[in-house]
Amino acid sequence: MKGLTAILIVFIMALSVPANAADFPTKEVQIIIPWAAGGATDLIFRAMGVTAGKYLNKAVVVVNRPGGGGAVGYTDGMKAKPDGYMLTAAVTPLCILPHQTTTAFTYRDFEPILNVVSDPSMFLVRSDAPWKDLREFVDYAKKNPDMITVGNSGAGGGVHLVALAFENAAGIQLNHIPFSGGGPSVTALLGGHVNAVSVTPPEGVPQIKAGQLRVIALFANQRLAMFPDVPTVKEQGLNFTMGMWRGLAAPKGTPPDVIQKLHDSFKKAMDDPEFQAKAKEMSILLSYLGPKDFGALMARDDEFLGKLIKGMKK
Amino acid sequence: MLESLQQLAGGFGIATSVDNLFYCLIGAIVGTLIGVLPGIGPIAGIALLIPATFSLNPTSAIIMLAGIYYGAMYGGSTTSILLNVPGETASVITCIDGYRMAQKGRAGPALAICAIGSFIAGTIGIFGLVAFAPPLARAALAFGPAEYFSLMVFGFVVLSNVTGTSLLKSLMMALVGLIIGTIGLDPVKGDARFTFGSMSLLSGIEFVAVAIGLFGIGEVLANVEKPPALLEGSVRVPQLRELFPTRQDLRKSIKAILRGTGIGFGVGLVPGPAPVIATYSSYLIEKRISKHPEEFGQGAIEGVAGPESANNAACQSAFIPLFVLGIPFAPPTAILLGALLIHGVTPGPMMISEHPQLFWGVIASMYIGNFVLLLLNLPFVPLFANILRIPKRILLPLVILFCITGMYSVNNSVFDIWVMLLFGGIGFSAGKGKFEGAPLLLGLVLGPKMEVAFRQSLMISHGDFGIFTGRPISLAFLLATALFLVIPLFRLGFKRPRKGGSADRR
Repeated sequence: MKGLTAILIVFIMALSVPANAADFPTKEVQIIIPWAAGGATDLIFRAMGVTAGKYLNKAVVVVNRPGGGGAVGYTDGMKAKPDGYMLTAAVTPLCILPHQTTTAFTYRDFEPILNVVSDPSMFLVRSDAPWKDLREFVDYAKKNPDMITVGNSGAGGGVHLVALAFENAAGIQLNHIPFSGGGPSVTALLGGHVNAVSVTPPEGVPQIKAGQLRVIALFANQRLAMFPDVPTVKEQGLNFTMGMWRGLAAPKGTPPDVIQKLHDSFKKAMDDPEFQAKAKEMSILLSYLGPKDFGALMARDDEFLGKLIKGMKK
Repeated sequence: MLESLQQLAGGFGIATSVDNLFYCLIGAIVGTLIGVLPGIGPIAGIALLIPATFSLNPTSAIIMLAGIYYGAMYGGSTTSILLNVPGETASVITCIDGYRMAQKGRAGPALAICAIGSFIAGTIGIFGLVAFAPPLARAALAFGPAEYFSLMVFGFVVLSNVTGTSLLKSLMMALVGLIIGTIGLDPVKGDARFTFGSMSLLSGIEFVAVAIGLFGIGEVLANVEKPPALLEGSVRVPQLRELFPTRQDLRKSIKAILRGTGIGFGVGLVPGPAPVIATYSSYLIEKRISKHPEEFGQGAIEGVAGPESANNAACQSAFIPLFVLGIPFAPPTAILLGALLIHGVTPGPMMISEHPQLFWGVIASMYIGNFVLLLLNLPFVPLFANILRIPKRILLPLVILFCITGMYSVNNSVFDIWVMLLFGGIGFSAGKGKFEGAPLLLGLVLGPKMEVAFRQSLMISHGDFGIFTGRPISLAFLLATALFLVIPLFRLGFKRPRKGGSADRR
């Protein structure tokens, strides 16, 4: 009957109405996910919310506000009362969207709490692709500019920008094909409709394990635990790394002691073996950063991505 | 095949353990409730309950979540039939004849045939899944952007006149749908289109808002206009004997159910808007081959049985790409993929060999789940059918309330409610001019996907249109579309001296 009770609790949580705040937290804490349920960000914070609730002594509820590639959720998150009860998942697009269209928000409208995940990005090809390693891939691209088709999960999205930045770093030209998500782009690669795809795990991981796809370029700082034989791009002589981050932020003006309390509780949740096990099962790489370091990371990426997008629009 | 059957038998052993039967039942009940409420679809329902499964073992968790998925598909038709409110893409077509049947006092048979059709389709679908999963999944990979575009063109042209009234009016409505579908972020370059600086328009117009508006709210407005005396007398109170389908109903439906199952199973393998194409195609085919096509749109039971079965079969085959390729083709299966990942199971080429217990347990539980749903749904039929005995002056405001709360729950967005009310007005006025809502919804669903596939293809081919004609599958769809458009012209030429005209049947 444990399952049934849990179901009832979740239903009640979803329906409960906020009360007045006196000493933090007196009611449930909500996290806005600016994407639909079931995506990587959604899954991570749903799993983390359950654990963090233990340390906050109040439930953590995930609210999905999809739309506009994340713009709708970030606008709502920015406008929320700065009292620590309405947090927002701060993911790389927070530093991408403001450079692409006129948005009401930038990363400066949020107080960083902590970074939770750092996704390494990579290029995959089919196992029967003609290129054995990165050198052959780059050489071919240099001789045949704009001929290698590289799928991504959406124009201007994180992995598209990774592909663009890699193009600049390697001095090559690729033909970028946008798909509506990582799943469709991997499908197109399996069917041979594109030559390569730009993804972040767990996309493509089961196909790599089954020997249908292989990693041709890994843009992480170090090798991945699940594929220890795959060298990074850096090891192969190209000084280029790029990844995506997923953390938590509160609206600007949230009191520092509330931020501290939230940070401490979510940090404990990150270290909790229960959450660690879930993260391992989902093959996500946990990477903790405190408020200050996370803020610095956002500022750095905002500048870098801004330049990249300006170059793309030309 | 033999080995598969043996393992399936083992799967039944796992699925029929007391625990798993219990979770299967819970999933089916919760799914039915979610399906009955407009707005909260299977996606939100599954996502909401994922945290509740953390303490369960993976097999039980997936059995319960999959139960919610097909339970919601069963329940989705209920509001379409009773209130003309389609809660999701798959139940739009059910509104057309299902609601008419309910107005004639035949809500019971309509609801019952949905449950029976879904059960038959689900059962056949599972055997298809066991027998043909790996080759079918590989065949699905042959669909690249070019093939996908040509399929969409075929679907758009052939299915837009689904109700068979006026081809001209249907194509006009379908074009309106296409135009509405261009609002929001450009799917290829990410630029904002027709948003006039509005954040809410950036994500485009929500399909469910348009569907509930055009059908549900539009119908309420149309009812309000009628004189009160006429309104209360319009629904006959059914006798108990009339609540279940007659032998004649069953005879009419069985072939529609089998055809719908075949169509749905095939279409479900194609990524994207499978439920829409499956239900529209099934309706169109039933109408075309029927001996009494004039009954369609007036409450023909085949018009409910076929599409409902097609929808359920499509749900079953949607599991094939997920389990065999590890890739979700439809949003509900994407959520299930997430749930599997949380439980440490990565669906994909290795899943059947790495987690045979889970795979075959879930397959067997689907079969049991379908049976549970049939037992669960048939007793509810009299209860639901009695909703129509509520006086309309009380029922209609409740429907509006129900639509508004349901709509809000989809994206927690007030903007969506306004869109829904606006399309309620549009649906009401369009109905006056005999313009149908179904083609508009088809255009709205297929338009954006068609555009993406078109632009992807041309990007891959560096602008060469030959990519559409140089590939066999793509060429076949384009030729079929051309034939469909040209043949009626020839027929018209030969049969000129005839009263009326067949293209504009009214």
